[in-house]
This record gives sequence, structure tokens and C-alpha cells, in this order.
Amino acid sequence: MEEEEEGAEEQQRFSHQQRLKAAVHYTVGCLCSEAAADTQVQLSRQAVAAIAEVTFRQCENFAKDLEMFARHARRSTINTEDVKLLARRSNSLLKYITEKNEEIAQLNTERKTKKKKKLEAENKNSVEPAEAGGVESEN
Amino acid sequence: MEGSYIPDSEPTTRTLLRRLLDTEDPHTPRGRQSTRASARRTPLETPFSMRLRSQTKTTTRRHSHGARSIGRLAHIQTSGRLKEQTPRTLLENILLTAPESSMVVPESALKPVPAPQVVQSPSGESSRGSLELQLPELKPPTTLAPGLLLALGKRKQRLRLSEFQQGVDQELPLSPGPLTEPHGNAGASSLTSSLNLALATPPVPQSVQRPGLARRPPTRRAVDVGAFLQDLQDTSVALALPGDSLRTPVATLPTDTVLEDTQPFSQPLIGRSPNVRHSLPCPSSSAERTVGRRTQSSGPRLQNNSPGRPDQLLVGKAEEVDALAVGFPNTSNSSSGEDGLQPLQDGVGEEAEDVMEESLSMSDEEEAAGAQGSARAEEPKTHKEGTEAEGSWGATEAKELEGPSRDKDTAGRTGSPELTSITLEFQQARQLEFLEPAQPTSTAVGLFRQQSIPAPSLPPEPLSARRPPRARTAGPRLRQDPYKTGLSHYAKLFSFYTKMPMEKAALEMVEKCLDKYFQHLCDDLEVFAAHAGRKTVRPEDLELLLRRQGLVTDQVSLHVLVERHLPLQYRQLLIPCAFSGNTVFPAQ
Repeated sequence: MEEEEEGAEEQQRFSHQQRLKAAVHYTVGCLCSEAAADTQVQLSRQAVAAIAEVTFRQCENFAKDLEMFARHARRSTINTEDVKLLARRSNSLLKYITEKNEEIAQLNTERKTKKKKKLEAENKNSVEPAEAGGVESEN
Repeated sequence: MEGSYIPDSEPTTRTLLRRLLDTEDPHTPRGRQSTRASARRTPLETPFSMRLRSQTKTTTRRHSHGARSIGRLAHIQTSGRLKEQTPRTLLENILLTAPESSMVVPESALKPVPAPQVVQSPSGESSRGSLELQLPELKPPTTLAPGLLLALGKRKQRLRLSEFQQGVDQELPLSPGPLTEPHGNAGASSLTSSLNLALATPPVPQSVQRPGLARRPPTRRAVDVGAFLQDLQDTSVALALPGDSLRTPVATLPTDTVLEDTQPFSQPLIGRSPNVRHSLPCPSSSAERTVGRRTQSSGPRLQNNSPGRPDQLLVGKAEEVDALAVGFPNTSNSSSGEDGLQPLQDGVGEEAEDVMEESLSMSDEEEAAGAQGSARAEEPKTHKEGTEAEGSWGATEAKELEGPSRDKDTAGRTGSPELTSITLEFQQARQLEFLEPAQPTSTAVGLFRQQSIPAPSLPPEPLSARRPPRARTAGPRLRQDPYKTGLSHYAKLFSFYTKMPMEKAALEMVEKCLDKYFQHLCDDLEVFAAHAGRKTVRPEDLELLLRRQGLVTDQVSLHVLVERHLPLQYRQLLIPCAFSGNTVFPAQ
């Protein structure tokens, strides 16, 4: 019974993996066609498939590394720091990620300030607490 | 003479000689051999001719061959006496027509020798006999058939090569040969010496030396740090793009801290740890080493990077920048380097920070890797902080040379005289890092920045202050060798496992790759430590690294690896062992 369940699980995982692979393959195909259009270089189907396979395996590696990094920092959640550590080899990629991270951080802080202002405004206006509650819940 | 085919072995040599004299003389002995070979094919297949061919073809000179040839020579000599054309005259003809190539050197050098002999010996048969007797004693090339002559001459050539080397070593007087090539001269000198030897004792020159196997003893060229530094200076000054001009640093890889990294078990860590730990505080042998190594390795790194990807280049730069962390006081070239390094700033910023930390923790890591745990880890930390407070990164370097409590400036000036030039371009990058107020992401980085900020004050110091201290290179030379020794050790292992002979260039490439690889590993370790918010590398970081390498798995733990591969003395540093008296070492 357990074996059957495990087998079913395996199959499920396998099919899930296959679906993921297919998604990756599709995305890689789109990117490759874009690149081919840019550089006037054709990519054969085998090449695209190879790239997709490599991407998939590399993603697996990334996931394992990210988990290891998070655990190394005694965290249970993967952080942007882990991602940056992962991308440290490629300078441009690291820069890109850092910039994006800063952007997102900025957005977050902006949102926070907005929230605070709203809350303060709400409190100052002393609108009905229900509204404030509603606003807070929205936030 | 051409058409006369004597059924015996004699005609071959004579006819060959004849043909040689008639045909135009090629400029290379090979060509000669080829003509000889082509000419030889026509004559009768005699054992002698076959032997000739074999002799000429085989490059390995064997004593047996020589002996055989000598015997043959004697035989031919005696038979040749019957004819008008004596080997002597033939030889002279050959010598006259011989081209002035290196191969011919011995023959041309032989010219005067046989001539006096010819002169000395009366023209009678008896004299001829004596001459012939002498001739075989002489090196075979001087006698007989051109084939033999050239073959043996070539063999002689090879032999003389080794002799030449010996002669060069012993500074034998060179004979005034007509040859322009130094090799020829040396060959001539050795030839004459060998000839003298030959006259004295016949086949001695044809020793068992096998040129194919005779290998030059590995000339360990002592690292000329001064020249190297000068080269670095030149290359760095002329450095437009990093990496292309850094050819020179590749040869010499300084510092033994990397040695410790590459061979953590080959040296007593306990004895070494104090040195390494003192990367910051103490006499900076280690610091210098680190810097030197970093810069040196960054040299090859850059070099390898440049042909590769610009990303890697930046990474490499960052790593070098890290190396410069130690030598950053020498920001002398910063101004010049800034322009070139502008684009690197941003990308290298974080890398540099990490790299700095790595450099800091690298030495620690090396110790931590093989040594005890926290107790030692604390030391460098405190040391670090202490020295950082002083802002004496450069001081650490200088300390070794001059006393510990150095000013940053003075330290930068004197401390890294050798290193400054080494780290020129990197320093530039480094300076950029420092000058750029990149927000320190960690305290360690912040500390670095503190130290780095005063660095720009040193720029005006550049070369003048650096040059005089360069005289003190006795120390770094020793330190550089161990690093390179470590790499060459691994390269030799590599060549052993390939089971094939390897070219030197290939071995050098292997060394370069190993160097880069280990650099990456160390940087990773530093980054891991920083990632965990630590400034010291701990076994956990190593475990993570090995896990990434695939060596540590869920089935195989670090302890298992330690038990498998480390000798007991190192293993007991890592895995606590209970000793008598209820003491556990290392203390947990």
C-alpha cells in the first residue's frame, strides 16, 4: 500500500517535473527565438532543447544551493541575500539583482510611508474606527 | 666511383660520399640525411647500409650503435685504404662542402682536428693506418662515411648538447669556431673537449647518454623579485585593460598563505598559524604573502580572465582588489588607475567588499580549516579588530620589515614596497572601491573602509618610496617559492595521473587553473562566512563549500572525509579525541 502510494507520489512528482520542464522548454524557446531575431543566428531545435535541459538542471542546483545558504545563515526562509550569494560569480548579474533588490526595497519603504501617512491621516481625521479598521485591513 | 658497386659494404659509404659531394649540400643535416637516405636506398642493401640508415634514423644514440659504428668504421677504413679515395680526403671534401649549420658545427670544428692529424700522420699507409686508427678513436663523425659521419655527428651533436650544458655550467672555454650560433660554439667547444677526450679514450664521448632521455635538471630559477616587481610596475603602468599585460606575474606566485590553503596538511599548522594569523596585527609576512599571492594570482587570473568573459574579468578584478586590501595603502597609482577602473567600481563594489572580508578571513580560514576551532578563531578576530582600529592594513605588511607600530602612511610606503608594484592595478581598483562611498554592508566592510579612507593620502608616494625598499627582497622570495611549490606539487600529481608526458606549457596552464580554482574556493569561504554574519571562517563554512562541491553529502559527512583523508595529527585537531587525564582535544 505504501509502495503504491509512493509510486503514485513518484509518478506525480515525475509528471509535475515534466510539466515544469515543458514550461521551461517553452520559455527557453521563446527567448531563443528572440535572440535569433536579434543576432540573425538560427538555433536548431536540438540546441534549444539542450539549453532548456541545462537550464532546468541548473535551476535544480540553484534551488539546492539556495536552501543550503539559507540553512547556513540559520534561517528557514530563502532571502535576497541568499540569491545574491548565488549570483556572486557573475558580476553583471549580481549588479542587476542588487539594483532590483534596492528598487523593491524602495518600493516597500514608500509603501510603508504611505501606509503610515494614511494611518496618521485617518487617525487625525478621527474617522470612524471602522473605516480605519478597514483601511488597516486593506493595508 | 659512382657506378662502382663493390659487393661489400664499403661501396655504400663511398658512393654515398661521392653522391653527397656531387649533389648539392643541403643546409640542414636532415636534408643531408634525406639525400643520404635517398642515395642510400639505391645501393645494395647491405647490413652496413641498413645500419647506417638505422643509425641516421634513430635519434637515440646508443653506445652499442657507436661501438658498432666504430667497428664498422675500422672495417671500412681498412678496406678503403685500398682505393685511391681515402676516407680522409672524402672527409675533407665533405667538410669543405658542409653547410654552416649547427649540425655541421662538430664537423667544421672537426676540420682543424683531422687536418692536423692528417698533417701529422705521414702519407704512407702506415700513417694512414695510424690515422685510421686514430680516426675511429676520434668521434665517429670525424671518420668514414658521411652517413655515419652525419649520423654519428648528429648523435655527437646530441651528446654534445648535454656536454654543452655541462660545459656552459662549468664555463668551458669556447673554441673559436666559425659558427655564429652560440649553440654551435658550445657544440664546438664541447666537441673539441669531447674530441680531446676521444683522442685520449676512444668511445668515452659516446657515453651512455641518451639525448632523448637526458633531461636538463630542472633549473629552479630563483625568483628575481626585483625584476618581477619592475615588470609589474611596467605592466601596471602600461595597463590599459587588466589582464593582457600581466604575463610576468604568472611565473612567480608569491606568498605561502595560499600554500597553506592548497596544502593545508603539508606543513605543521600549529607552527604556521601564528604567522598566518598575524595577517593583520603582526609582522606581515603573511600579509605580504597574502598580498603578494593575491596579486600574483590575480595576475594570472586577470590574464586568464581577459581572454574570457568581461564578467569574469570583473570578478577577477574584485578578487585582486581583495588582494590589494592588504596592500591598499599603496594607492599611489590610484589616480592613474582610476580612469581605467571606473567601470569596475560598481560591479566590483560588493565583490570587493566580500573579497576584502575574504582576504581577512582567508588566512583565518586556512587555519580554521586545519586547526582548532573557536579558540583560534577568536584570536585573529581580536587581532583584526585591534589592527583595524589602527587602520594598519598596510602596517601589517610593513611590520614585517620595520616594526609593528607603523603609521599607515609609512607602512604603506615601506611596508609593501615589493607589494605595491605588484598590486598596482589592483590597488587602483581597490582605491576606487575605497574612494567610492559604497555603503558598507557589513561591519567588516565598514572597518575596511575606515582603513581604506586614509589610503588615498598615500598616492603621491608612488614609485620613489617603493623602489628603495625593493632591495629587501630576500624575504618575499622565500615566501613566494612555497606558494609556487604547492601549485607545482599539484601539477605534478596531475601529470602523474595522466600517465602521459606533459608539456611544460600544459603544466603551467594546469597551475594557473589550479590557482584560479583555489582562489575561487577561498573567496567562497570568505563569502560564506560573511553570509552567516561572521568574520571568521568556521568549519561550517567549509562544510557548505564541500557540500557544494559534492564531496559532503547526506551520506558522507565532513567528519567522514576528515577521517578518510587526513593524517592522524591533523585529524585529531578537528575531531575531538579524549586523552589521558580526561582531557579532550581540541576543546569544544
